Amino acid sequence: MFTKRAKTLPDNVFRLLNARIVFQLATLFAVCWLQQACGGKSRGEATDFRVALLTPGPISDQAWNGGAYNGLLRTRDSLGAKISHIQVKTPSDFEENFRQYGASGYSLVIGHGFEFQDAAARVAPDYPNTVYVTTGGETVRPNVAALSFAFDEPSFLAGMVAASVSRSGVVACIGGTELPPVKASFEAFTAGVHAIKPAAQVIVTYVGNWDDMGAGKEQALALIQRGADVIFQNADAAGLGVFQAAKERLGIFVIGSNSNQNEIAPAAVLGSVVIDLPHAFLLVAREVQSGTFTGRVIRFGTRDNVVRWEPSVLLGRRAVARDLQRVDSVQAMMRAGAFARPITGARP
Amino acid sequence: MPTAVLDGFLEATVRSATPLAFAALGELVAERSGVMNIGLEGAIAAGALAAFLGAQIAGPEIGFVAGGVAGALVAAVFAFFVLALRSQQIIVGAAVSMLGIGLSASIHRAMVSAGASTAQVQTLASLPVPGLSTLPVVGDALFAQPISTYLLYFLFPLTGWVLYHTVFGVALRATGERPLAVVAAGHSAAKIQLAALIFGGVLAGLGGATLVVAQTGTFSDGMSAGRGFIAIAIVALGRWTPRGVVVGVLVFGAVSALQFLAQAMAWNVPYTLVLASPYVLTLAAMAIFRGSRTAPAALGQPLDGGL
Repeated sequence: MFTKRAKTLPDNVFRLLNARIVFQLATLFAVCWLQQACGGKSRGEATDFRVALLTPGPISDQAWNGGAYNGLLRTRDSLGAKISHIQVKTPSDFEENFRQYGASGYSLVIGHGFEFQDAAARVAPDYPNTVYVTTGGETVRPNVAALSFAFDEPSFLAGMVAASVSRSGVVACIGGTELPPVKASFEAFTAGVHAIKPAAQVIVTYVGNWDDMGAGKEQALALIQRGADVIFQNADAAGLGVFQAAKERLGIFVIGSNSNQNEIAPAAVLGSVVIDLPHAFLLVAREVQSGTFTGRVIRFGTRDNVVRWEPSVLLGRRAVARDLQRVDSVQAMMRAGAFARPITGARP
Repeated sequence: MPTAVLDGFLEATVRSATPLAFAALGELVAERSGVMNIGLEGAIAAGALAAFLGAQIAGPEIGFVAGGVAGALVAAVFAFFVLALRSQQIIVGAAVSMLGIGLSASIHRAMVSAGASTAQVQTLASLPVPGLSTLPVVGDALFAQPISTYLLYFLFPLTGWVLYHTVFGVALRATGERPLAVVAAGHSAAKIQLAALIFGGVLAGLGGATLVVAQTGTFSDGMSAGRGFIAIAIVALGRWTPRGVVVGVLVFGAVSALQFLAQAMAWNVPYTLVLASPYVLTLAAMAIFRGSRTAPAALGQPLDGGL
């Protein structure tokens, strides 16, 4: 009698504990699943042609990731592709999701960034019927292509504009993290600044991530305090804080990146260094759909107008007319392919 | 340091410290009642989104309040699992953290896809306090801030007073040390912890709200950027007292401001090293102050069946 009680009591406790742990784990998994499910939405009609996009940040950034999502939508609207998008954080996520899409028979999977190239090279041989494309990078396989953008060309033009508008002679760059394409863009920007004002100072800073808008704004305010009056931002969502800082201070101007950001703060934005991602995605998606795709580095520049400098309405009122003519003539030379690159550092 | 640079640095310190101060003060109260809520990050994210939505519909003041409400809801989820189901605090906290971050990101994403979200909302204006804002050195930094910052100046002393000078405060602190004694004295330990958790949730939500309505004027996924976890570290750093937490948030704010300044002044330090400094500081402080005042004795322990 007693022995029986003594046995059943801890048994019950254990069962209860187990039930609780199982319940907690279930909750945890449910949450993870919810994140995945809501992150990876599929849309469009059922066709054979399926395109997936992996972005390293939220598509609400109105910049690098937002532009890519518009590109994905373009493949749906123009080519009738069935599309899927997922936001990923770590390199292990890159590889895992590349495999998922390969295993589910997607025709084209775009890893949106320089940082996706290693994962693409590792996964691609296992899924030969899927084409993997990275935006940036130089890695090529039979079913891997890299889109390479001459982002340095319009960055150089942006630097010329910044120097022309700056009254303090101090201009600044705010990046997310020190990725090679970002660094190269800032170097080109600096060269552009010095082409107009050789004595101007260019301060290059990084937020340390691409999400923290509060930190992006504080970095901008610290630069403004230091005397910078034109800021070139390339920090995606964190960069939205830079526009907010410019809105709150008079006489401070911002240059946007990746998407046309001229409307984010019309009173403060001089222009944007734009990558026409919809154009680039559509081009490669068309090749994949028609079966003409070959793995290679696909280069875009000012010449084909995929990467371009888009001035805002404000710029004409703020910059020196003579400088703007120089910007135009350099741009014309870039378009003609006749511009001798003064730009040092790695190409993106 | 030239005056203008010093002023800028102090202002950046206070701005960087504000969201941390809300979250850390809330967590302090929760931890003093014996509950370790590591779901803070989720409440901050939810508060930020709610503030963004509220500000779109009815202006930044309402947005600020909405942030507090959202934080309370997230804390209520945590409290349900921890107090009603007696689940492990750390496990529930981790899940709630992910829930808050994931859900707010998903809701925002759905709104962006549907084109229902405007990009920018109005922010709270800064209200200089007549007289005080003209004080040398600290005037602008402390007294030319939005109303949300002034709220903190009342909340910290008020919380200290309630914790140390009221019956409820004694019962709350006792719950964190010896819940059985509190029950023996005729209080409900679970109700006290519920109150502490909801208070903590409201404050974490307000912390998230300040990111939107007092600073950036917009929302983005991941904009909480680990502030919830830093707030938890600050509570330990501040040795579980309101005064210690004040010092902790100011130190963290100052280190953040210093890393913005270091880059802006083009001091020749690798930026990654500067960015890592707040975290290095936390670890250093933990090592230096170890044992000088221990955590509440019952911190993190689920209440026994009968409480």
